[in-house]
Amino acid sequence: MKLAPLFGIETAAFLLILAETYLFFDVVVPLGSIPHSLAAYTGLALLKLGLVVGLIALWFVVMVGLTRLYTRSKVRSAPRPSS
Amino acid sequence: MAIGLADVGLLLLSLAVPFLITLVGMPPFLRYLTRIGKVSTDAHKSPPARVPEPAGPLLFVAALAGELIAAAGFDSWIPLAIAVGAAAAFVIGLVDDLYVLGGKTKPLLLALAGVLFVGLVAIVPDLYQPILTFPILGDTAPHFIIYTLLAVVAFPVVSNAYNMMDAFNGEISWFTLLTSLALLLAVSLHAAYASGFSVARVGATLPLVAVAAAFLIFNRYPSRAFDGDSGSLMFGAMFAGLAITGGVEVAAMIAIVPAILNSFYTLSSVRGFVERRRMSSRPTYIGEDGLLYPSTEANAPNTLIRLILLSGPLGERDLVRDIVYLTLVACLFSAVISVLTWVHLG
Repeated sequence: MKLAPLFGIETAAFLLILAETYLFFDVVVPLGSIPHSLAAYTGLALLKLGLVVGLIALWFVVMVGLTRLYTRSKVRSAPRPSS
Repeated sequence: MAIGLADVGLLLLSLAVPFLITLVGMPPFLRYLTRIGKVSTDAHKSPPARVPEPAGPLLFVAALAGELIAAAGFDSWIPLAIAVGAAAAFVIGLVDDLYVLGGKTKPLLLALAGVLFVGLVAIVPDLYQPILTFPILGDTAPHFIIYTLLAVVAFPVVSNAYNMMDAFNGEISWFTLLTSLALLLAVSLHAAYASGFSVARVGATLPLVAVAAAFLIFNRYPSRAFDGDSGSLMFGAMFAGLAITGGVEVAAMIAIVPAILNSFYTLSSVRGFVERRRMSSRPTYIGEDGLLYPSTEANAPNTLIRLILLSGPLGERDLVRDIVYLTLVACLFSAVISVLTWVHLG
């Protein structure tokens, strides 16, 4: 079943998209009440931005990690065309 | 939602007309393209074959006919909004087919198509609901501004993701057919279990299924027709628009995970938006045995195809079969999410 590792990467991508979309839309976006000072407003905006960047970075890191693992395991035995 | 006999008839019409237009219109349209010299080289054949391209204009006409039937039959603006989004992406794709747009110009123009689409909310207030619905957890709170921004971004992202799945014989047509079926299931379950959800949204989904199914007959290995960017971008824009108007964004995202991964691999390996025809090296090459091999060049883009080929060389037909398997798994996940989200027993 040579596609099994790719199915694994696909499943990880699916679960992360599901979980992170929920976290973004239901936790990060409504985070905190509307602040009354500019400093608090800026701080909250930066916090939300940081959390969003963190969620995106997490997806990237996991995907890159899994793909590197897959590529390394395959590239050593990469086939060459017969001449 | 109660469906009458007239609704069923209209749904069948929204499915049959675009299917038949594509099926009957394609052979003469391909002859016309050949006659005016609009043929492309099928680079993955040895020796390279010549295939008529772009079939996108006929695919657009067929999809438009289906949407117009759904709009008139169900007296709804929703299919018209889908048609507007599809038309904008189709025009951008056609310009790209004829003149080749830059790697950054295309996403920017597609974002404008997204702006045009969400702008229709001024005319059609119920075009979309600014919420996401998750399995078990239910609806999130409405966030109109964030949702609208994401809806705009969805157009270039999804359209380009579809465009990047258009490299091999039958790849785009299989991918569009399977993902549109997953979308149809999600929208139908939403329509069946959520009160007040219009059947027109189901009707708007059917032309995409129909056009993809009919196009598969001509696009499968060995291809007799290529859709061009006008076809693939239109497919992507329709999918994005239908996911938004159907309120099934989560299930839709899951269904296109192979395209998301493919885009992620490509964009991260070439470090930005680069028009594929201007990439300095190819992700794969054809060996003397006629099989496809992963490129060993250091600057080759790292696509999903290249990852599949790392397990061993494949013929084009087998390679597309593997992509179909990956898409089927994603669509299965999407179906599970749809059932868990919308089906309420008892």
